[in-house]
Amino acid sequence: MDWLEQELAKALARKEPAAGFDGRVRARLHRRPRWLAIAATILVMMGAGGEAAWRQHRGQLAKEQVMTAMRIAGSKLNRVQMQLKGTEQ
Amino acid sequence: MRPMLTLALGATLAATLWAQQFKFNLEHLASKASDSFDVSLNTSMLRFAGKFLDSKDPDEARVKKLIVGIEGIYIQSFEFKKVGGYAPGDLDKVRNQLRAPEWSRIVGIKSGGESENIEVWVRNEKGKVTGVAILASEPRQLTVANLVGNVDLESLSDLGGHFGLPKMKK
Repeated sequence: MDWLEQELAKALARKEPAAGFDGRVRARLHRRPRWLAIAATILVMMGAGGEAAWRQHRGQLAKEQVMTAMRIAGSKLNRVQMQLKGTEQ
Repeated sequence: MRPMLTLALGATLAATLWAQQFKFNLEHLASKASDSFDVSLNTSMLRFAGKFLDSKDPDEARVKKLIVGIEGIYIQSFEFKKVGGYAPGDLDKVRNQLRAPEWSRIVGIKSGGESENIEVWVRNEKGKVTGVAILASEPRQLTVANLVGNVDLESLSDLGGHFGLPKMKK
């Protein structure tokens, strides 16, 4: 057996895996990729943030509508009240 | 899917019509007006808006207090560049719906050489105020409002004084 055969036999010799190797491979196969969890978290956060921003926008719009409506109705009633007061005097 | 959608839209429309105490029928004026304001706020929208009113702001605090007894606010207001943007009949159609015994006109004023007319109508049910109608017309402006619920007219008028117009001396 020359040196080449010896090197090949050594390289191709059967080696037993380290203890727990099988378990670690199986566990990794069943583990979800970390990026998927991160992406899902970002999407949920974006969704929640978007929902909050949309709610805030709608609330501000409704508030402006109420204020304008009260401004219009109130000013008409105030005109009536001023007119009546003027008539009384 | 379509029948469900039609049913939902119908229910929404019915709820809106039920909440509003009379029909305005003024939509056709929007295209003629140079400026218009159209608002329909039902109870849930008013409560929602109330959450955004700042109690630290004096005007907003007053409005917040005032809307507690109000169940709906419906207003259409139009401004026209020229006289004759609306017909007297437009207002008559609204006025004709305000019939006794529910509705009664509590005050009507004419001012500015009779160019400005404001009528305030109140709806009473079992001795309780359940709504207010305001019909205001000027040569180039028309406003119709329906405030549903127990409306504090005094506070609302005071509010009008705070919003830019001079407050009435008591």
